Amino acid sequence: MNVLLDGLTLAQGGFPEPMASATLYHYLMTSGMLFVIGLIGFVTRRNLIIMFLCTELMFQAAGIALIAFSRFHLNHTGESFVVFVLTIAAAEAALALALVVLLFRRKESLDAAEWAEMRG
Amino acid sequence: MVGLVEQLQTLQVVAAGVFAQVEHGALGTHGGHEAALNAGVNAAALGAVTGELPKWTLLIPFLPLLGCVLCGVCAILKVRNKLPAVITVACIAGAFAATVGAYMHTMHDGHAQTAVVKAWDWIRFVWGTEYKSPREFIANFSFYVDSLTCLWMLFVTGLATLIALYASEYMAGDVKTAGYARFYVAFCLFVFSMACLVMGDNLLLLYLGWEGVGLCSYLLIGYFYKKPSAVAAAKKAFIMNRIGDLGLSMGLMLTYVHFGTVEYAKLFPLIQTYLDLAQHGKIDEIPFIVQAIPVLFTIGAFGKSAQIPLYVWLPDAMEGPTPVSALIHAATMVTAGVYLVARFFPLYLCSEWALPIVAWGGALTALLAATIGMAQFDIKRIMAYSTVSQLGFMFAGIGVLGAVGGAAHVFTHAFFKAMLFLSCGAVMHGFAGQLDLRKLSGVAKIKGWKIVSLAMFVGCINLAGVPFITAGFWSKDMIIGDAFADHGMVAIGWILLGTAGLTAYYTFRVFFRVFMGPVQYEAGDEVHGDADHANHANHANHGHSDAHGAQEHGSAAHAAFHPHAPGLAINAVLLILAVAAFAVIPLVHDFSGGGGHSFWASSMVHGSTAGVEPPHAEHYKPFGMDAHRFAMIGSIIVGLVGIVVAFFLHYVGRTSSATSKADSIKLGAIQTAAQHKWYVDEAYHAIFVLPLRVLAHVFHAFDKMVVDGLVNLFGMVPRGLGHTARRTQTGVLHDYALRMAGGLAVVVLAIWFLHSGGWSGWGGPGLVEVGSVGGVRP
Amino acid sequence: MNTLASSILLFVGSVVGAIGIAMALPRKGVSPQLLGALIAALGLGGIFLALGLRAPGDLPNINFYVFSLIALGSALRVISHPRPVYSALYFILTILASSGLYVLLSAEFMAFALIIVYAGAILITYLFVIMLATESPTADQVEALAEYDRYSREPIVATLTGFILLAALTTMMGVGTSKMAPATIPADAGLLSRLPRKIEKSLVEAKLIDGKTERLARAAAALGEPTNSGPYLIDLAGGTVTVAYGKDYAQRRIISTSNPLWPKDLKISNIEGVGFSLLADHPGGIEVAGVILLMAMLGAVVLARKKVELDEHAKLVAEQHALVDEQSIAALRATPKVGGVIGGLSVDNSGKASGSNGGQLPKSGVQIGGGR
Repeated sequence: MNVLLDGLTLAQGGFPEPMASATLYHYLMTSGMLFVIGLIGFVTRRNLIIMFLCTELMFQAAGIALIAFSRFHLNHTGESFVVFVLTIAAAEAALALALVVLLFRRKESLDAAEWAEMRG
Repeated sequence: MVGLVEQLQTLQVVAAGVFAQVEHGALGTHGGHEAALNAGVNAAALGAVTGELPKWTLLIPFLPLLGCVLCGVCAILKVRNKLPAVITVACIAGAFAATVGAYMHTMHDGHAQTAVVKAWDWIRFVWGTEYKSPREFIANFSFYVDSLTCLWMLFVTGLATLIALYASEYMAGDVKTAGYARFYVAFCLFVFSMACLVMGDNLLLLYLGWEGVGLCSYLLIGYFYKKPSAVAAAKKAFIMNRIGDLGLSMGLMLTYVHFGTVEYAKLFPLIQTYLDLAQHGKIDEIPFIVQAIPVLFTIGAFGKSAQIPLYVWLPDAMEGPTPVSALIHAATMVTAGVYLVARFFPLYLCSEWALPIVAWGGALTALLAATIGMAQFDIKRIMAYSTVSQLGFMFAGIGVLGAVGGAAHVFTHAFFKAMLFLSCGAVMHGFAGQLDLRKLSGVAKIKGWKIVSLAMFVGCINLAGVPFITAGFWSKDMIIGDAFADHGMVAIGWILLGTAGLTAYYTFRVFFRVFMGPVQYEAGDEVHGDADHANHANHANHGHSDAHGAQEHGSAAHAAFHPHAPGLAINAVLLILAVAAFAVIPLVHDFSGGGGHSFWASSMVHGSTAGVEPPHAEHYKPFGMDAHRFAMIGSIIVGLVGIVVAFFLHYVGRTSSATSKADSIKLGAIQTAAQHKWYVDEAYHAIFVLPLRVLAHVFHAFDKMVVDGLVNLFGMVPRGLGHTARRTQTGVLHDYALRMAGGLAVVVLAIWFLHSGGWSGWGGPGLVEVGSVGGVRP
Repeated sequence: MNTLASSILLFVGSVVGAIGIAMALPRKGVSPQLLGALIAALGLGGIFLALGLRAPGDLPNINFYVFSLIALGSALRVISHPRPVYSALYFILTILASSGLYVLLSAEFMAFALIIVYAGAILITYLFVIMLATESPTADQVEALAEYDRYSREPIVATLTGFILLAALTTMMGVGTSKMAPATIPADAGLLSRLPRKIEKSLVEAKLIDGKTERLARAAAALGEPTNSGPYLIDLAGGTVTVAYGKDYAQRRIISTSNPLWPKDLKISNIEGVGFSLLADHPGGIEVAGVILLMAMLGAVVLARKKVELDEHAKLVAEQHALVDEQSIAALRATPKVGGVIGGLSVDNSGKASGSNGGQLPKSGVQIGGGR
């Protein structure tokens, strides 16, 4: 227990103090779990919009991982990359949702299983 | 020039030697004199080219070819008159004229020369290696003309001309159809092939001609292609010929393998060395291949010339039109086998077994065919069996070392057998296809049939061998005499003698039944419709003289049927042949007294490769008599006996066409078997055809199940794979995404696995080196 | 021992978490979503314990656990909630937790940027689209929850796949991070000297420089340039800052960084660092990002104008809906109280619809740009 409490500080060390790699591992685990949850959601849900939402979850996870690494390596490259990721996410969301709306108009349903015309 | 002189000397020496023998009373075709041997054989190389022929002798084979092409053009242009017949007769007559000219050239200076006339280069392979001398295979389209060739070609082209003329009327019923031109196309092609066969300068051209005549035989037998029996007969003929051709082709290949050449001019001098060994009694030293080649040739000859065991096609070949039977299956094609044996006689002398096989095969075939012929009722079939029987005589003749006898019999047989067939054909043509001798009688007494009856009579006396006045007698007698003269072949002599008697019997059975006796006839199956008979004005189309014989109908089944007497073309040809049958007598026997051998046929044979002297053998004297004299007496006796028996059984006291005294003779099972041709066809069917058919079914099943199955398997495997793979394409987004995620997981696992050292590095985590995946350089 | 226990606990926790997630996903029949969520939370706890056991001396801030729990919990709710709107709202919660994590990682700018862009823009777009793309109810389906929302596809296989992936990632990350040495280069050493005004301001506030009479010295100008345009004489690496004062700012004096009055909080802030990184190190990326956004905008405009014909089957369904709409509206007018929500709207007794649509009951749920 003492071992645990000793490690509890209010902030994650001030920047630019170095971060331990084990701590980094914690953040990466969170990122990984979030990613996997997003993946499971994408594969499981049938609603098109929720599927895209799950891809956004995966973006989130990637963002966390990037920021964690940026903090670990004490430079801001990761953060600027997250800026780009955000940009891409926004662009993709806009276009994807436009397409989803068009698809919905055609079949009056958001079920992804309806669009199985490419079956072999 | 030197060669010619030497050949002249050869003949003079031979003749002198033979005449010397005559004084001692020993007659035989084999002189057996060392002097003669040495002089004759060493004077000029065996079979080598000794002279030249002008190029117009190429007309002999190529005029008929031209005729074939022109008749083909007629067929294409749908010519519906007798033009094809005219073309054919003209071309073949031209070929005959060229043959006569070639004969004169060959025999000028009184002795035979050998010449090769080249048309063009045909096959020419030359190859060689550094350590082997160059090998070559040359087979030119050239023609080798010596006296044997002239002998053969004279009667081939002559008979072909006459029979083409005969056929122009015989086939006149088909003028309005495409059949007429088709008939003559095949006819001309046949003559061309026969010319290639007989005149070919190399074995390959002979083989070409061999196959060509087989093909034309097939085409012509199957002329009535709508009749199933004709088609079957054509197939049978062709297939049995092919079986023989296997022997010939193997012989050809072995010849090339051993001697290195297939051209006669080069081949025969090479055979010379083996011939020397054979003639000096050292036949054991001759290599096996050289001894085997003539045996293989014999198989081919037996197939083509219808001897045991390949004779069954010839009687069935009577399904073809009669001119075809006359030309191909009596006079020319079936003699091709005899020609082969005669041409390669030196090679046959080098083999221990070949000549005995030929002799015994011929003799047994002669006997067998005669027995079958005695029991048949179809006159054409009887003639067919008689052809087989006479061919057996020819082969036996050559086999007993008498190439002269065989060749002479070929020559005479061609004329009288052709005549017999043509007469039968005239009967068939006139009586609407009726050939059963139980249904025809007294034809000689019908008006307009005199010439046919005369021709038939001349042919019958030749075939039966009526003594002294017929050519058939002399040539047959030569063969039987040669047989008795050889100690080892005496049995053959007795067989041939007996067969001669049977021949006489069945020949005159036909004559007495069909041409003598009360006039009674039935129409055959091809009877014309009533309209034809009602309208007599149509007779002008038939082109024959009016021959109603209405007063002689008697009890004919077809009340309105009139026999159709032959017209000018048929009668003219029969007359010419009858005269020719007598005219050839001096050609086959030397009437100059002293029993010499300087008759024409003999000199023709001796001037060629067939004329080599066989090895010395002692002369056998049956019953103490000279062999030839004994043979003559014997054949006279058996011939007359046969004729008399036929007279009593089939002429005396016969009141109707269907019955005769012969019907009272019941020989039971033998008679039935003979009528059924000794069940040979049935035996062949059971032994060869049925198992092959079963085998064919087996292979068919194998092909369908295994081979096709394999092929289908090749198709089905991708199909199956495709079906399976297809199920992964559900079209649903989730499934694809799931699989992508799974694939990603697998890839990540694989990379981790590999980087942690693969199978060898199996252990817990922490085995990844710095700098690999997961480790990042600061 | 710790490592071994942590490994075992890690995997056990993962398995438990997987089971929990599989149970939490919506499915036919009995769906123990709450139980599944609890089990998943238990699994998560196990995982964190395992991680903590691995290196007890390097535990993250306690807020990390809080934010992680919130993030993962709401992510689970995103994927398991049957209604799309709730999923989007839970996603917003995930974003908030994420930005909390960003703050913990000293990336304040990104945290707020995340909230503004993601939660404020993208998710609102999602919500709008959810509103637009929902089927209107038919007579036999008052509940208005689409069939495809109620059931998930192959939850077990999906979960299994996901956790295999997680296992692989985890192992590799663990192996990798155990070998990494933390960076030691202070990132902002050179950057601060590029912000002289900030230094000046900070020093003025720390009373080391008199704001009115003194300023940071600049080197002599190049020939032909104005006198105050040379580079600043700031040498933070050497620990000195030159100050100019006096008439025409011609006199110099030096302030050392080891001066006790030196402001302690004078460092590059996150925004400045990110700004430097973006503009100085990755200018091309910004251009490209701009182009991408332009493309997205154009694409959206083009797509929105597209007239789409209804599918055959969908046409029939739509007509049926139209009929039912009128029937159900009439029925609703007749009956006293009707619960339930139709298509995100609530219909009260008067037959008037209130809700995000502002009183207009759509005929078939879609009335945009010639859909019918």
